[in-house]
Amino acid sequence: MTADTLHLPATPLPAAPSLGRRLGNVVRLHLANPATIVVIPLSVLAVVFVVMMAIAGMILINAGDSTTVEKVSTGFQYSGAGFYIFVYMLVVAIQAMNATFTYALGLGVTRRDYYLGSALTFVLLSLAFTVFFAVMGAIEDATNGWGLGVRMFTSVYYGDAVATRFVVVLCAFLFFFFAGTVFAAVFVRWKAMGLTLLFLVLALLGVGAAFLVTITRSWDAFWGWVNTTGYVGIALWSLLLTAVMGVAGWALLRRATPRG
Amino acid sequence: MTAVVRTRGLTREYKELTAVDDVTIELEENRIHGLLGRNGAGKTTLMSLLTGQEFATRGEIQVFGQDPVENAAVLSQVSFIRESQRYPEDFQVRHVLGTAPRFLPHWDQAFADRLVADFRLPLKRRIKKLSRGQLSAVGVVIGLAGRAPLTFFDEPYLGLDAVARQLFYDRLLEDYSENPRTIVLSTHLIDEVAQLLEHVIVIDEGRIVVDEEADALRGSATTVVGRRADVDAFVGAREVLGREGIGGLASVTVAGLSPDERRAATAAGLELAPVSLQQLVVRLTGTTDTEFEKSA
Repeated sequence: MTADTLHLPATPLPAAPSLGRRLGNVVRLHLANPATIVVIPLSVLAVVFVVMMAIAGMILINAGDSTTVEKVSTGFQYSGAGFYIFVYMLVVAIQAMNATFTYALGLGVTRRDYYLGSALTFVLLSLAFTVFFAVMGAIEDATNGWGLGVRMFTSVYYGDAVATRFVVVLCAFLFFFFAGTVFAAVFVRWKAMGLTLLFLVLALLGVGAAFLVTITRSWDAFWGWVNTTGYVGIALWSLLLTAVMGVAGWALLRRATPRG
Repeated sequence: MTAVVRTRGLTREYKELTAVDDVTIELEENRIHGLLGRNGAGKTTLMSLLTGQEFATRGEIQVFGQDPVENAAVLSQVSFIRESQRYPEDFQVRHVLGTAPRFLPHWDQAFADRLVADFRLPLKRRIKKLSRGQLSAVGVVIGLAGRAPLTFFDEPYLGLDAVARQLFYDRLLEDYSENPRTIVLSTHLIDEVAQLLEHVIVIDEGRIVVDEEADALRGSATTVVGRRADVDAFVGAREVLGREGIGGLASVTVAGLSPDERRAATAAGLELAPVSLQQLVVRLTGTTDTEFEKSA
């Protein structure tokens, strides 16, 4: 073994395609088959919607009084029926990255381009789903809950104004997508064992935090903070955590290798 | 000649295994290289290192003159569809063949269409419903139609029938002669690909045991057959790669013979037989033919 460095070959290497193009290719890879990423969550949402309508319909028929649409609407304001779609985005992020990581590397995508392209995909999907929520929410408002007092896209958690609703929903989608990137990176790198350990660590951290709040007798302060901050405030604070998770996902994925 | 791949002291250690051990090789531009060795010899790990998918423990790698790790310029010129390549589970064949060209700038769609027809690939079938052979065919289509200047084929024909394998060899040679590029064919089906190979690298337990021109290698060993006493007298202190015998007959494989030595052997009443690449690899990687077949 000699210590001299390797020689350069004579043929010059063509430049790589531009970063934008490379990331765009990764986005298109994620969206090549939109079944998992778009069709399934919307289908489930549609089913939940139909169930909500049916429940509202049954309540109205039983009550037999048209003025109760207002009461139904009040009752539905704390509806969490749309929540599942946020959590489902965590699953989407894990599935999407687990499915394409090895394939993308086989096609010569760098981990960095892959992660940035995936993150871009998730931001675009968050925006698209948020616009969808906004449109559905506007219709829900205009039709007094689809004529039945149903509140699925105008749940009180999202705020009253169109703008605050947009912010809260967008932050929620981003939060769950980027939580998904962390789980996905752990799964791609260490498989099921890694995820199990991560869940254990998160459970311990959660219990530890709750314990800390309890022994310092800070629960009142905590709930006070929640109340004064409000849903919009909390949504904006979540962006900080979302950003941390985005960076953590990259830190974990950058040393991952494809497994057969 | 220009080397597109150069490694020096390349090593990849896992906890209890050195998968690639102090490998120093060069791959010449626009040639077909055979990367031969048994299962678990380190073929796939070596290719993963060269394509930046694995991280080296020690040593240097240059692909097109640069470190391939996280190097978009290098990796856009490289294609490596591994034997156990995973594709997105919900993809159909057409999704795979629709996304791959975006990442392979030299992709030829007409060629891809022709290969799909040749291999009778069902475009609308889900990847997870494909047979082993069809899955291999998908990899072959990407590897061939992608025309990456550096293309790795990792056991490309697992599960392919004889017709499909011949098709792969034919299309590879045809396209290679029109569009020269550097190809690395990793396999343990050595006899079938022997005539395709221009350069042969044999890896065993992570170490390079042969790194030779295929032509030189073909003449590098000879089997000497005859009466045991005559064979032993002729072989003398030569390097013996293998020895078999029945009764009074012996068959000994020795390293390269000069024309004079060949004449001497014939004069002594001995028969000389060429050694196939596969037999040679079997001898060099220290196993019997039957063991080798079993591992295949």
